[in-house]
This record gives sequence, structure tokens and C-alpha cells, in this order.
Amino acid sequence: MERFFQLPWQVPFGEFSLKIDSLSLMFLMAIFILVFCAGVYAVGYMREYQGRRPMGLHIFFYILFSLALVFVVLANNVILFLGAWEMMSISSYFLIVFHDEKPSVRRAGFLFLVASHCGTFLLFLMFFLMAHNGGSMNFDVISHSGFSAILAGVIFLLAIIGFGVKAGFIPVHIWLPHAHPAAPSHISAVLSGVMIKMGIYGICRVLWILGVLPDWCGYVLLMIGVVSGVMGVLYALGQHELKKLLAYHSIENIGIIALGLGLGLLGESHHMPYLTVLGFGGALLHVLNHSIFKGLLFLGAGAVIQKTHTGEIDQMGGLAKRMPVISILFLIGAVSICGLPLFNGFISEFIIYFGLFKGLASLPLLGAFGCGLGIIALGLMGSLALACFAKVYGTVFLGQPRSPSAVEPWGKTSSWMIVPMLVLGALCLWIGLFPRKMASLAFLGGGYLSHTDLSSLNMGIIFIPLSFIISALILFIALMVGLFGMRRIFLKGLIPSVRETWGCGFSQSSARIQYTSSSFARLIVELVKSVLLFKREGGEVRDLFPAKIKLTSSIQDASEKFFFRPLFDRLTSLSKKLDIHSIRYTQMYLMYIFLYLIFLLVWKMK
Amino acid sequence: MMNIIFLILAHWLIVLTLAPLFVGVITKVKAFFAGKKGPSVFQPFFDLQRLFQKNSVYSRTTTWVFRGAPIVNLAAVLLLSLMIPLGPFKAPLQFSGDILLAVYILSLARFFMIIAALDTGSSFEGMGASREAFFSCLCELALFMNFITLSLVSHSISLSTMIGADTSLSWNLIGPALLLVAGSFFLVILAENNRIPIDDPDTHLELTMIHEVMILDHSGVDLGFMLYAAAIKLFIFAGILVPIILSIHAGNPIVDMLIFLGGMLGASMAVGIVESTMARLKLNRVKNLLLIAVAVAFFGFVVKMWKG
Amino acid sequence: MTSWVDVICIIVVFLSLVILSNSRVTAMIRVFALQSFVLGLLPFFLHISGMSGRVVMISLVTIILKAGLVPYILFWAIRHVSMRTEIKPILGFGTSIILGAIVIAGAFWVSLSLKLPGKPVSDLILPCSLSTVLLGFMIMVTRTRAVTQVLGYLILENGIFLFAISLFDEMPALIEMGVLLDIFVAVFIMAIVVNHINEEFEKNTVSVGRSKMGETF
Repeated sequence: MERFFQLPWQVPFGEFSLKIDSLSLMFLMAIFILVFCAGVYAVGYMREYQGRRPMGLHIFFYILFSLALVFVVLANNVILFLGAWEMMSISSYFLIVFHDEKPSVRRAGFLFLVASHCGTFLLFLMFFLMAHNGGSMNFDVISHSGFSAILAGVIFLLAIIGFGVKAGFIPVHIWLPHAHPAAPSHISAVLSGVMIKMGIYGICRVLWILGVLPDWCGYVLLMIGVVSGVMGVLYALGQHELKKLLAYHSIENIGIIALGLGLGLLGESHHMPYLTVLGFGGALLHVLNHSIFKGLLFLGAGAVIQKTHTGEIDQMGGLAKRMPVISILFLIGAVSICGLPLFNGFISEFIIYFGLFKGLASLPLLGAFGCGLGIIALGLMGSLALACFAKVYGTVFLGQPRSPSAVEPWGKTSSWMIVPMLVLGALCLWIGLFPRKMASLAFLGGGYLSHTDLSSLNMGIIFIPLSFIISALILFIALMVGLFGMRRIFLKGLIPSVRETWGCGFSQSSARIQYTSSSFARLIVELVKSVLLFKREGGEVRDLFPAKIKLTSSIQDASEKFFFRPLFDRLTSLSKKLDIHSIRYTQMYLMYIFLYLIFLLVWKMK
Repeated sequence: MMNIIFLILAHWLIVLTLAPLFVGVITKVKAFFAGKKGPSVFQPFFDLQRLFQKNSVYSRTTTWVFRGAPIVNLAAVLLLSLMIPLGPFKAPLQFSGDILLAVYILSLARFFMIIAALDTGSSFEGMGASREAFFSCLCELALFMNFITLSLVSHSISLSTMIGADTSLSWNLIGPALLLVAGSFFLVILAENNRIPIDDPDTHLELTMIHEVMILDHSGVDLGFMLYAAAIKLFIFAGILVPIILSIHAGNPIVDMLIFLGGMLGASMAVGIVESTMARLKLNRVKNLLLIAVAVAFFGFVVKMWKG
Repeated sequence: MTSWVDVICIIVVFLSLVILSNSRVTAMIRVFALQSFVLGLLPFFLHISGMSGRVVMISLVTIILKAGLVPYILFWAIRHVSMRTEIKPILGFGTSIILGAIVIAGAFWVSLSLKLPGKPVSDLILPCSLSTVLLGFMIMVTRTRAVTQVLGYLILENGIFLFAISLFDEMPALIEMGVLLDIFVAVFIMAIVVNHINEEFEKNTVSVGRSKMGETF
């Protein structure tokens, strides 16, 4: 299913050619839903900044950003795509640095800009190679030209790294955990929900253009998916700042999407259309699902942070009693992201699992091992995500308030903020219980992506299990209602008494003896402490009598610490060295022009 | 349609009556090893009856999550019980991929149990919640590894087919792999259902418990639901292991039922013997035990791939 | 039933894994005794059709020597040691188990390309014996105490024994006895050496580091 739209455009090599097809449909849905909800949310969220900050500028860049997102997905021409891509990066930079009075925000924005442009540089290279092979800048024309195996492999790698920077693959994800906490919450929601999916869209579009890929590409994507997913959730377990934790979970879910894409590629190279459609379809459905529940989580986090004025979850506690609606909506988001049944996360993960099991049974040895590894990794990600979100939900909303900032009085949360969250929560529940519509759209997208004809396949193999799941879930809800009624009957006439929590005889318990987020996650973090670079300082008992002791623990991002920081430091020192010679500006620039002239002469000489 | 409803009701009847009996047999075996007469095998029924009649005490700190978790837990295990065959009764809920629904419904129940424990704002429950979250990661790893091997052996991803409900699993051909899967699965049963050597269901020292300390604050109906759910979960897990080991199918439903009951009796005695002869492991050794379960399951997978 | 041989091979590898993960020396020696006992039953099951006095003799001698005498010597060697627990191995227990599983998978993968002359009784013997040998090596390399290193060597010997006993029907009993005698003497010497080392080190023992706050659960 495709529709075209064309306008004349004066830019050389460029044409204003737009195309909407089954692939871009999934991404467009995610964009529209989230941009709209985040926009409505922002009306209530930004109210306190009105008059103190340039709101008009923020709104302008928001509209520019949304337009850029739409054009990235619809673009059918290299120049249009790259132009929209750049507009997206730059406008999101201005949106991220809204709180630019804080140096951490400025640093995060700069890191984002640098990372984005490093990725875009690789994209320029990649598109140049593609356009040179295809003889045109139009995606459709390029897709009809054949690519040699080596060229396809090189383009694939450039796409993985270039788009991977935007998507958040490990190890090029380092801008994500800094940019998300720095941005205002509705911007974090759109960044996490939509902008990183543009990286995924780019990879999908390149896969569509390339058509047939060598065998090893599927394994590469599978491995990236496994590593990103598991490492993402392990890093998330060690975080205690709410938005940074959610950012690492986005990395994990991008890993799941990459896993699905890798499975689809394996299916393509082994000529098994069922694997292809299941893998790509599952990945696309997860794109939509993740933007919905991640948006919900970030909007909820924003509501919490707005009232408590801190992002540290160890300062919160007991917020469910003060913000009942938001706590229920956040719980819906948390249950969805863990992939638990009743909500949409389970459906897309089920489709990917199903495909992986089919691959395990039907692929040759190496492919079967890859699928087995994928299944293990998905299972591990699920249980680790469960631990992490139980920690977050329990520490933020349940228990007793851990610090004064959770106790001080605040006003009601604005309805402008609650209604979009309700919409997103309702969508989570709808897709979780009635997935057929969205799943068929995802499979259409998957079929289009892999140039497979869906009518020749019997999609019943996945829709029949899905319908069984729906009936099982409805039975489950009926069971819960029945048991609730039974409980009512058992407690009839009895009035339950309300006491303090049983403290085993301790009479002076305080809110400080509750489990903090680091103590909850400690067992898992210490299991993999060499991977997470877990450091623990202090906390040793030296004297006989109780005294004040300080204990700090931290984890560090390995790619940032061992690879990128040293790289940037070396680059900075290198450029400082070159700086000494730039006193003579005129000579410098004349030399550049001279070098370029020589380059042109040599190039055209051939 | 009527067939399905009959099967569902039969399943629930069997599970609701036999699960507490299973726990009672385990207690009797432990008492025998201790040289005592022990409580009657029907004692869990009396306990549940007593709890359902009692009033509840709630903590000031708790919210609806605390009151809702037992309901979610019991509903989840009741749904799970429909996915396994019980003797001659086929599973009414059977489809390709139902193992995933089974594992994730259990995770949903576990999620609510963990946040209900954190809801009380007490560090005891926090301790139990943290340990439960950690051990379940390793258990699920072992479980998925076992499912991979079983799906390769039975060429399907439906729980009933994987455990050999309709056709006997070929012990002759792939005996070693199945032996390893059964061994690893037995360890997972002990871990998931909080039995020695992972957790002691009888201790009431909060520093040493996992499951017991999570439900420490529940009382009355809620505690009754939680205990019932724990018993049913143990019964279901044993019900998955028994058909793998006792892969015998007589055509006669009565004989099948007797074989199943005999197998379950054997399983409960095995659990009781393990509980009586071993001591609870130090908590950082539990992690090693679960990793051994994962390694054994992986070994089973390798043997299966080797055998073709 | 040929699959009894399979079961024995599997149990031998499983027990090597258990020894790899264990930290208590007494438990490790006991599990080793069990492993040698199971291994001693192997000639019995291999020649179940053509039983001869020689086979029974080999079984009995293996069991008495490897499952009875050698563990007894090892227990005697550590009788003076006050702390019978192992300090953490070089890799850590969790990592050793995962690595052990990967080593087993590697052994199976390598066995895919190893072609043996003649048809063995069961096709699991080669990969299982290779796994046992490699696991024994791992134990020797990653452990810090002398007794556990000796145990690693003994497990390696068990792996070689598993391989040899099932492939060479016509191995003369004399060579078999010679091999067993070698092992016996080696363990005896090691026990004496270990005894002296332990007595020497008893005088300046280093205390195990005090646990940090909250280190025990």
C-alpha cells in the first residue's frame, strides 16, 4: 500500500517527493499519538514557566520538530530526508536545553548535538554510496537497482552505526542517558517515544531499499539486540534518578526491536517468509507499543517531578496516596513495559518470541543457536525489567515518604496533564486486549519491508494463538472480579482494623529503614559488578558503638568511560594542538581552498 | 463448548481439592523424618477455613495494591492450572505459544506480590521482595532454557505437547537430555515455590525468608488467598514435571488418573525428602545452585543438539 | 540398554560441574568419590552382554581405589587444616559455572569434527570425556588451594579413564592396573606434600577479611 505526492523543488538533486506506505504508517501513528499527547500535557506542565521563559520559542521549535519528524518518515528523496533529519536534530536540541541555566543541561545538549552529527556524517557517506549505485536520489529508483554483496554489507554497517547513534544501540548510546533527564518531561517523552524510533525507521528504510542482504547481517542485528537489551536493563537497575532510569529502559526496548529486525533478516536470508513477517511485524508493533507506554511513563515521571522538585526516587515514597490517578496510570505503563499480559507490551513480545521459537526449530545450526540466544536474552530482559520497575514503582509511589520533599503540600495536578496520560493508558489496555487491528497493520508493514506478499501466507498461525490469549485474558479478568466478590463476602460484616506495619517489635521505626532503590537492586547489580563497573565506598563498621557512616555506590557506563571519553579527550587535545597554528586565519583558509582545488582537479582528471 | 466448560470445571475442582492435600503430604513426610506423628494431611484445609473466617488487619501505609495482590495471585494460578493436563483431563487452554502466556502470567502475579511487599513500607518485606526479584531472574533463565530443549524434543511450543500429554516422550532416544531437563526443572520447582534448600516455608525468622516475609503483613482472607495460590502453584509445577518423567499412557481414563495421582504422590514425597535431608543454603550459595540449574539445562540443550 | 552408558556419561559431567561450583573441600571430595563410583560401574554396563571375570575385576579395583582409597588419603591430608572452606577462586563461583557450561558446549562442538575409528558403544562418550577433562583443567587452573588442585587433576584422570575404558576393549589388564597404580602413587605423594605445606602454613595463617557492613544477607 503506497501513496505518492510530489512538488517541484529548486534544490539541486532534491525533489519534494513524499511517500506514505505500510512501513511508514506504523511510525506515523506513533508520531501523531505522542506529539499530540505530549503537546496537550505541556500546556499544564509548562504553566509555571509562563512569563519567566521564552515560551513562544519553545512552541515554535516544538512545531518545527513535529513537522521534521513527519517529513523524515514521508521523505522519498535523499536530500529531503537528510534535510528533515537535520531539522529534527537541531530543533530537538533547542527543545532539550530549555532549562539552560543549569550547566548539566547545557552539557547534555552539546553531547546530544555532537553525537547526532557524528551519526549524520556516516549517514551522508551511506546515502552517497546508495545514490551513486542507484544513479538517482529517489528512494524508489534506488531500491530497484541491485547492490553487490560487499556494497550492501558496507551500506548496512554504515546504517547500523549512523542510525544506531540516534536509535541508541550500545555502545553509541551515550548521549541518551544525559539528554533525557536534562530535557523537560514532555520533550523526554517525545524523544524517547518517537525520535529514537526515527533511527529504527532509517534502518528499516535502508533494509527496504537494499532488499537482499548477505547472511551475516541478521546475526549482527540479533547480537546488537541482545547486547543492547541486556546491558540497557542492567544499567537501568543501577540508576536512582527517575528519568535516567527510563532512558536506559528505552535502550533496552530498542534492543528488543533490533532483535525482531534481526530475526526478520534471518528469515529473509534463509527464505522463510513466516520468520520474516513475524520478526519484522513484531518489531514494528513494538515500535508503536513502546512509544505509547514510554510516553506514558515519562509524562507520569514529569508529573511526579513537577510536584516533588527532585528526580531522585530515593527522596520520594508514598505518592500513591497523594496522586492516586497518576499512580494507577504509571502502574499501567510499568506493567506494559515489563511485557506482562493484559497490556500491549506482552503482545509484541509474544510475536517476537513466537518467531524466535519457529526459527529455533527450522533454522540450521548457527541460526538455531542465534534464536535460542535471543529467547534467553528476551526472557532475561523481561525478568530484569520486572525487578527494575517493581523497584521504581515501590520506591516512588508506595511505602512511606522518605524525605520532606515527598511530604510538603502541593496543589492538584492539572487536568491538561492527566487527560493525555489517560488516553495513552487506555491505548495500552486496548492494544493489550484487542490486538488484532494493530497487529495486522504491523504485519502489513513487515511484509512491505521485506517485499513479501502476505496473501500467500497463512497469518492464522499467529492470529489463532492471539485470539486464545485474548480469551484467556478475559477469563483472567473474570476470575479477578469473581475473587474480589468472594473477598467481599468473606469480609461481610467485619470491619478490618488499621494498624502500623508489623515491625517485629521495633518501636522506633522510621521511614529511613525502608528499602531504597539501590538496596533493592543490589543483589542483581553485585552479581554483574564487573560488567557494570560497580563501585562501593565506605560503609565499613569500624568502632564498637554506632556512629555516622557514609556509604556510596555507583555504576558507570562502560562505553562512555572506556571508549568515548578518552576518544573525546584525545580529539580535544589534538584540536588544541592545531589551534596554535590558527593565529594566521587568512593563510589557513587560503590553504583549505588551495587543497580543495587540487582535490577537484585530481577528481575530474580521471 | 460444553466440553470446554466441563474440562475447566474439572480442572479447578481437582486443583482446588488436591493442592492443599499435596502440601499436607509434604508436611507428613517431614514429620516422619523428624520422628513425629505430624499434623493430619488435611490440616491445610483447616488452616484455610480458619483464615477465611478471620478478620483482617491492614497497615496504615498500604494502598489498594496490597489488597489487590492476593486476588491477582490466585487468579493467575487458577488460569495457569487450565494450561496443564491433569491425568486423563486434557488442558482446556491449549495453543501454540501458551508457555509464554504461562510464564508471563506468573510474572504478573510475582510483580504484584513484590510491589505489595514494598507497599507496607517495612524493610522486612523489602528484603523478601529484593531477593524474590533476584532469584526469579535466574529461575526464568533456567525455565526458558528447559523450554527450548523441550520444544526441540517435541517440535511444538504448546505446554501440553511439550510435556508429553498426548504422546509419550521418547525416553529411549533422548533419555539423557530429558534427564537433565527433569533435574534442572526439579531445582526450579524448589526455587519458584520457596522450598528448602532455597527458602524455608516453616521458618519465621524474617532475615532468612523469601516468600514468607513477602506475605508477612497479610492476614485473614488475603493470607488465605496467598497460601492457597502458593499451594496451587506448587501443585501445577509438580504437575508439569510428573508427565515428563512418567511418560506412560494407558488408554483407560481411570488408569491414567491413578498413574497421575501416583506420580503426584511420588513428587510430594520427593519434595518432602529433599526438605528433610537438606538444610537451607546460605543465600549467596542459592545463587550458585540456581546457576547450576541453568548450566544443567544448557547442558541438556547441548546434548539434544548433539543427538540430532 | 545402551542409554545406561549415556546416563553414566551425563552424570559424570554433571558431577564435575557440581565440584566446580562447590566451595567446601569435604563436599568436593565426597562428590569426587561418587563420580569415581559411577565411573567404576561403567565397564559393567559396557560389557553387559559379554561379562567376564576381567571386567568385574576392573570395575571392583577402580571402585576400591578411586572411590575408596584416594578419597580416604585426601581426607587424611586435610585432617589438620582448621578451615575447610575454600577462599574465593580466581574467577568467582558464578562465573566458573557459566564458564563451565560454555566449556561443555565447546567440547561438544569440537567433538563434532573428531572422527573416531570403529563404532563406539554410545556417541556421548567422546564429548562427555572431553568435557570432563576440560572441566578438570578449569578446576586446576582457577583454584588456589593445593587439595582442590589435586582434585582437579583427579577429575582430569577420570575423564581420560572414561574415554579409554570405553574405546579399548582389548586393553590388557596389566596396563590398566599400571595406570591405576600411577594415580594411587601420585595422590599419595601429593597428600604428603600437602600435609607438609599445611603444617608449614598453619604457623602464619592470614585471617579471612572481616565482613563489610551488610555483606552477609
